[in-house]
Amino acid sequence: MSTRPHGDRDTGDVPAGSDGAESWVFETLRADCDPAGIVTATIHVPGHRHNVVTQTFLLDLEALLDQLDTGLPPLGLILASGRPGSFFSGADIGRLETLLRAAPPDIEWICQAGRDLFARLASRPWPSVAVIDGACLGGGLEIALACDARITTSAPHTALGFPEVKLGLMPGWGGTVLLPRLVGPGAAVEMIAAGESIDGPTAARLGLADACVPPQQAMAAARSLIDWLRADNSHMARRRRLAGTVDIDPAERDFLAATSAAVIAGRTGGHYPAPPAVLDTIIAGLDLRATAAAKIESKAFARLVTSPVARNLVRVFRLGERNRRDTGVAAGDAAGTVTTPTRPAVVGAGIMGAGIAAAHLRSGFAVSLIDIDRDALARAVPGILEEAAWDRATRRADPARAGALAGQLRTATQTSLLSDADLVIESAVERSDVKLTLLRDIETVVGPTAVIATNTSTNPIARLARALRDPGRFCGLHFFNPVRRMTLVEVVRGPATTDATVAVAVAHAKLLGKCPIVVQDSPGFLVNRLLMPYLHESVEMLREGTPATRIDRVARRFGMPLGPLELYDLIGLDTAFYAGLVLAEAYGDRIEASPVIPALVRAGRLGRKSGGGFYDHSHDRAERPQADASATIAPLVAPYRLPERSTPDASIADRLFLPVVLEATRVLEEGIVRDGNDVDLAMIHALGFPPFRGGLLAWADALGAAEIVRRLEPLADLGPRMQPTPRLLALAASGGRFTE
Amino acid sequence: MPPTDTVATASDSTPVIVGCRRTAIGRAHPQRGMFRHVRGDELAAAAIAAAVEASGVDRQSIEDVILGCTQQRGEQGGNVARAAALMAGLPLSAAGTTVNRLCGSGLEALARAAHAVRAGAERVVVVGGVEHMHHLPMDSAIDFHPRVLSRSSRGALSMGLTAEHLAASAGIERQRQEAWALESHRRAAAAATAGLFDGEIVPVQAHDEAGALIRATRDQSIRADTSAAAMARLEPVFLPGLGTITAATSAPVSDGAAALVVMARGEALRQGLQPLARIVATAVVGVAPAAMGTGPVPATRKLLDRAGVGIGDIDLFEINEAFAAQVIHNVDALGLDPARVNVHGGSLAIGHPLGASGARIATTLVHSLARGGGRLGVAAMCVGLGQGIAVLLERESS
Repeated sequence: MSTRPHGDRDTGDVPAGSDGAESWVFETLRADCDPAGIVTATIHVPGHRHNVVTQTFLLDLEALLDQLDTGLPPLGLILASGRPGSFFSGADIGRLETLLRAAPPDIEWICQAGRDLFARLASRPWPSVAVIDGACLGGGLEIALACDARITTSAPHTALGFPEVKLGLMPGWGGTVLLPRLVGPGAAVEMIAAGESIDGPTAARLGLADACVPPQQAMAAARSLIDWLRADNSHMARRRRLAGTVDIDPAERDFLAATSAAVIAGRTGGHYPAPPAVLDTIIAGLDLRATAAAKIESKAFARLVTSPVARNLVRVFRLGERNRRDTGVAAGDAAGTVTTPTRPAVVGAGIMGAGIAAAHLRSGFAVSLIDIDRDALARAVPGILEEAAWDRATRRADPARAGALAGQLRTATQTSLLSDADLVIESAVERSDVKLTLLRDIETVVGPTAVIATNTSTNPIARLARALRDPGRFCGLHFFNPVRRMTLVEVVRGPATTDATVAVAVAHAKLLGKCPIVVQDSPGFLVNRLLMPYLHESVEMLREGTPATRIDRVARRFGMPLGPLELYDLIGLDTAFYAGLVLAEAYGDRIEASPVIPALVRAGRLGRKSGGGFYDHSHDRAERPQADASATIAPLVAPYRLPERSTPDASIADRLFLPVVLEATRVLEEGIVRDGNDVDLAMIHALGFPPFRGGLLAWADALGAAEIVRRLEPLADLGPRMQPTPRLLALAASGGRFTE
Repeated sequence: MPPTDTVATASDSTPVIVGCRRTAIGRAHPQRGMFRHVRGDELAAAAIAAAVEASGVDRQSIEDVILGCTQQRGEQGGNVARAAALMAGLPLSAAGTTVNRLCGSGLEALARAAHAVRAGAERVVVVGGVEHMHHLPMDSAIDFHPRVLSRSSRGALSMGLTAEHLAASAGIERQRQEAWALESHRRAAAAATAGLFDGEIVPVQAHDEAGALIRATRDQSIRADTSAAAMARLEPVFLPGLGTITAATSAPVSDGAAALVVMARGEALRQGLQPLARIVATAVVGVAPAAMGTGPVPATRKLLDRAGVGIGDIDLFEINEAFAAQVIHNVDALGLDPARVNVHGGSLAIGHPLGASGARIATTLVHSLARGGGRLGVAAMCVGLGQGIAVLLERESS
């Protein structure tokens, strides 16, 4: 298939080949009939990186079926991909976004139309086989399920799944009907409600595929299946089985429904409607024939498509997609010609430096690690290798891989090792004197084009830049702790930082698997600045007599992975205290450094690392890891008690999150980030803001600016931190939105 | 009631039990389990040797050894019945085979011997069961094909989840489960203190928590000091925050073995042995894997139907206590008087070494009947992946 004539659908019938065999060429697929009479349809959807199910493809498939109906019937049809690694990688998100705006009856009609088309495959006299080599997801898997048989390949890129729930949706073209009829309802619920993919061998074991073979055997295997199906017409028996009800004992059905509901409730916290809808749909369809079950699916699908959670999750998906394409700078030379570093170095072997070095190894970089303290280096290396060789599946480091990676990690106590580095990430202690000296040293050693970055959360980039002769090549690269888990990275632009430097930093962070956001130099940058009011307010409420457990419970119920006081314990109260000083100095009009934090620090309660902070923490797995410590905390808070204030749960959420929205409006007003999308991305990736709410500003939009102003009114006596900002008031007046 | 056979002749092939012994049941715990340094095959050999010795059977007449065991690998691998028979010093002419009906394996061994004897195929068979759940954990090295579950669900592989579902669907509250478990401990502790288990337990070497060498004569999991208040404080194990089943209302994982000597009544007569009980009937059933806890109900009904015996005629029931919710369900569904069920406590207190438990409850039942606890007794068990097994015993009057 070196040349791909893009035939017109209406005149797609073009004779080809010299042996008299026929070919039909459409925009997204090409069908070749071999002399034996087996038609192979090869899918190649242009205009996308992977095959996605587009409207054009559906029309092409319909046209092909029309063609096959006109002439001599083929012996069978093989559906395969012309794109290595992608059978169908899922839905066309643009098309999905159109669907989000459609009315439920129209959505149901679209589902019905797709199913009718696929059903044509299953009503021909000849059998069809899908050859699945690569990703086969969502609607693509539904197409494969519409075939009579499936071959998967053992290639590592082969993955079958229904990821719809991750976007708040479910399969809409019969996936919830066919899968339980093929592999049993239990496995179908697991696969569709969790949204995880399975590999080729697993698909064959489950019965989702008829066999799994090496990729080079796949077409031959498909031909064999067509022969075997034809030999005894067993594709007809298969079709009858798939069209019927599901054979399951009522006791098994009830057990599956009850246990799956419990598992799903535990996983979603009740915030995500798609997984329970999948379960209900599958259970409701078991005793029905497939056509009736499909109608239930369509209705449930339409309900999900029109739900706010789906809209929010699709938005978050789009934010991530946009971030992956974002160069971080305005279109121009810098954006176009980024040469990413190949010889990165990290200076400072503390927790952050070690984490950054490990991230490099994990992403395939050879990396140099410098620390003047030989012992610190020696202590750091085993942890770095373990983290870099960590196998998520086995939950332990792979020793062979750790050994191989050891050769990729160079360590030294002298900055002279940096002479060939093209990117140096300084990650020494958060002391400006140390950093200034180090940065000056680094610049004397590295070549003239090397980019120099500093990992800092509290030092202004402008001040550190003074150490350098060429501040244009310097920027902040703020990683979060723990580096292995936190995907967000703030690329901080000093006043002199050039576009080229920013573009390199952004591109490099992406190569580390991170999600970089460009932030203008300012105290707290973006993330800590947004975190500050959230943390601060929790301590204020504690001082007013609201129990820590209640504050955190409300935050978790809102969807946060941790409550603010739990987060304090995780960050470490000493760390939070020092970061807080910088912020209080900069934003003292609305935030003061809370006296409670140093009181706890003085009492040795630093958080998880010291065994206790706002909670008691135990490392004994037999016990609960976190326990109420209100009795211990009370006397430490007592000297700083504020007037008692009764705060209902709903108001706790307002107090935690509305000041963050206010701070976000100031951030936008000051141009710290480009737009609200970056705010939402940062909140989700760095602070765990719940994706089902679409992001902080999407949540604010769901409330509406006017409603936020109204909710702030009863909090006005708390001071300037609850004052509506001009930007908020303007939006409230105009009815405008925080997000575009 | 069918007539009881009383007249024995040399050709009488009625299967009878002439002796039975078990080890004390240990906790399967890497630091505290009293059998942590003792192997499963050693426990099996000790039970076999003791049962043969107690029965007085002519060792040369033993034709086969059948042991139940669910984890047939490692120290329980390679046909542990044959290995244990050799270790126990049985004649080389005694054959051996190991069977697996999961939790019902011990009763399965007894049932197979009964069938063989009844058919005139064998005359003397030693049966029993063994499981060392610390050395060979119950779910290790098992890899079910996903298609096994195409008619069920993965949750059905968790016995705890099936029991939770049973409790929820049958409305068996946590309090009632804990009351049953408490009573199980009370009865077992009372029986142990009164020495009622002394006749069935063969002492074997073991280690206390400090590592000191002891003779294990008492079941390790029985807690005389447990209380309703202590049980009420426990977190649900299988559905944290939601469930009703805790460590107190699930059988403890255990190490132990038991053995019984089964023979044709005519052969017992010839050897001058006094049978303790005869095996009247056996039954197995399949149920939905997700409803595995219900297995004893249809199994018992089928058993009694087969024997032509009414449920009211049964004096004693030994229903294995995998979970309090399960045994309560079984008792409710069969309409049993709890006073006749597990009179000396059940597996919630004594422990549940899977493959051994069937032989353990049969041993306890034989001793209870022999002590004059009644004439007819039923031993029944639920079995993972959805089965039930039941055996009807009748005391042989002395």
